[in-house]
Amino acid sequence: MRFLFINHIQNARQSLKSNRMRSALTMLGITIGVASITTILSLSGGASQVVSNQVDSLGGNIAVVRPGSESETPLQDLAQFPSPQHFAASTLTQADLTAIENTKHVSSVAPMMVLSGSVKAKSAAPVNTAIVATTPELADIVGLEIQDGAFLDPTLSPFTAVIGPQLSVNVFGTEQSIGKNISIRGQPFTVTGVLKRTNNPINYNGVDFDESVIINQASGQALNQGALQIQQINIKSDSVSNLDQVIIDVNKALLKNHLGEADFTVLSGAQIAQPTNRLFTAIAGTTTAIAAISLLVGGIGIMNIMLVSVAERTREIGIRKALGASNVDIVAQFLIESLALSIGGGVGGYIIGYIVSFGISTLLPFSPIFTWEIALAAVVISTVIGTLFGIYPAVRASRKDPIDALRQYD
Amino acid sequence: MAKIKTPPVIVLKDLKKSFGIGNAEHYAIDGINLTINKGEFIAIMGPSGCGKTTLLNILGLLDSKIEGEYDLEDKPVASLSARRQARIRSQQIGFIFQSFNLITRLNVIDNVALPLVYKGVTQTNRLKQASAILHNFHLGEREYYMPYQLSGGQTQRVAIARALVNNPSIILADEPTGNLDSHASHIIMEELSDLHKRGNTIIMVTHNPRLTTYASRVITMLDGRIDTDTAVKKRKSDTSKKRPLGKTAKARKKAARAEKATA
Repeated sequence: MRFLFINHIQNARQSLKSNRMRSALTMLGITIGVASITTILSLSGGASQVVSNQVDSLGGNIAVVRPGSESETPLQDLAQFPSPQHFAASTLTQADLTAIENTKHVSSVAPMMVLSGSVKAKSAAPVNTAIVATTPELADIVGLEIQDGAFLDPTLSPFTAVIGPQLSVNVFGTEQSIGKNISIRGQPFTVTGVLKRTNNPINYNGVDFDESVIINQASGQALNQGALQIQQINIKSDSVSNLDQVIIDVNKALLKNHLGEADFTVLSGAQIAQPTNRLFTAIAGTTTAIAAISLLVGGIGIMNIMLVSVAERTREIGIRKALGASNVDIVAQFLIESLALSIGGGVGGYIIGYIVSFGISTLLPFSPIFTWEIALAAVVISTVIGTLFGIYPAVRASRKDPIDALRQYD
Repeated sequence: MAKIKTPPVIVLKDLKKSFGIGNAEHYAIDGINLTINKGEFIAIMGPSGCGKTTLLNILGLLDSKIEGEYDLEDKPVASLSARRQARIRSQQIGFIFQSFNLITRLNVIDNVALPLVYKGVTQTNRLKQASAILHNFHLGEREYYMPYQLSGGQTQRVAIARALVNNPSIILADEPTGNLDSHASHIIMEELSDLHKRGNTIIMVTHNPRLTTYASRVITMLDGRIDTDTAVKKRKSDTSKKRPLGKTAKARKKAARAEKATA
């Protein structure tokens, strides 16, 4: 290999430096595109990592039953106008719960009925929060720990509540709130326990336990005008290897209860995280499409500038050819220049993308992730853009007849 | 005249080159037959527009849209690929342009080193060689000047240094001393003369009849054809420049002929 490559790079640097403003503006198009892609990928990666980390941390023996059949077209779901069907009662019942409890290898079962409503202490403004009505098994399955007091005990007074530490701070101004009275949907409850901080706002339960209040299933039913609304049933099998069998058995049992109609879904592992992921996938998808458009526009910008640059330097091309440059040399010279533009823009975009995503993540409950895939994507995208939009001007430059090129005065 | 017969480097057979199309078609070169042997120093003269520069461009493989035949070292140029032609330009031909053709955004030494880039010389060696040749042309102190910071004469010398830096065996010079004073012209012509003595072929277009004294063969062109083709009999290389001004080889020959006739 001749030593041309280094020379081409020096050359490109020099030529880009001599037109600083123009080069910077051309790079900007690519920078914006790559920055938005980096932001999207790092944030959506962070979000799905939060969910999958939690599923992993549960040890792989958790399954979840949700009402409604699994949607085949996740994106359609998001675009759908909310039909009355969406507000229909959950298809999961107390009978289902009992059926699951009686299934082999099931070690514990916890139904979750999530209501929303205002929670209020005596002398404080009401706080809107999630009210989770469940059974004591939830603590075991989800891995909730108690910082103070005790978890739910249905044998005691039904009007006891366990609250998250953040909610405690929000309502009482302190995490020490055992024995205090709290009004949930107007009904007084006594705080019997405060949870340990989980710092895990996004999880498969759809509830941030740090900011929610947990009450007994019966009390929840009472608050909901006597109707039981089970939105999710968490199942824990006695061992990881038995989980598959449990899922099959639960499916069978529920199908029997529901007269053969599959209006429920049993999920495990990564599937649990899907609805959360689905939203992020949709957001990421849309934003990626916008980023792709900006990359396309950036690429056209590079092509435009390279064409101008080739036209400006027609005479130089003639001189170089007269001095022995082959067509390949000329193509390489201009291609490396356009690659320098696009990769320069790409690297800048990668850095700016992370700055932006860290900025955004201060408003979000999770932080962006660093993976080599994102760095690779930034480099690959910018290389592809640089080559794709640089090749035509470069080939055009190389096709110039030396004598015609020399005749052009600059 | 060289006694030993040297092999032909350039052979032109009925070479034609036209510009324009249809009614406006005009032959800048209109049927040239020419054989140039290795080691010749040819001066091409003629009025403006007679096709000197066009011929030089064709010889330098810059212009390939020609009619007729051009054999370079026994190979018809038409059969050479663009890549091969580029390699020949890079390794065998040194071109001195009438209009310098320096790259304005590169400094002097980078301009001079440019042909070496395409020859595949490493950067350190490129700069060494370029620096050496610039010192030869008394431009050692101007290495890092930009072309626009040089005088016309200096620019011309840079252009010549660039053409000679890769030791080409064929040197094509289009009015190499056009912008130089007599002292600078002398430096350049001595350099070319030295290259000629080392066996290089030199083809030079010039308007200055004095410079033909350096040549071994003088060709005059007229309307795209060769008008006269004279071998310069003997070149007293070192004394030639001391001849009185205004008397060219051709003029001297004419005078000699006139003397013979009267005698």
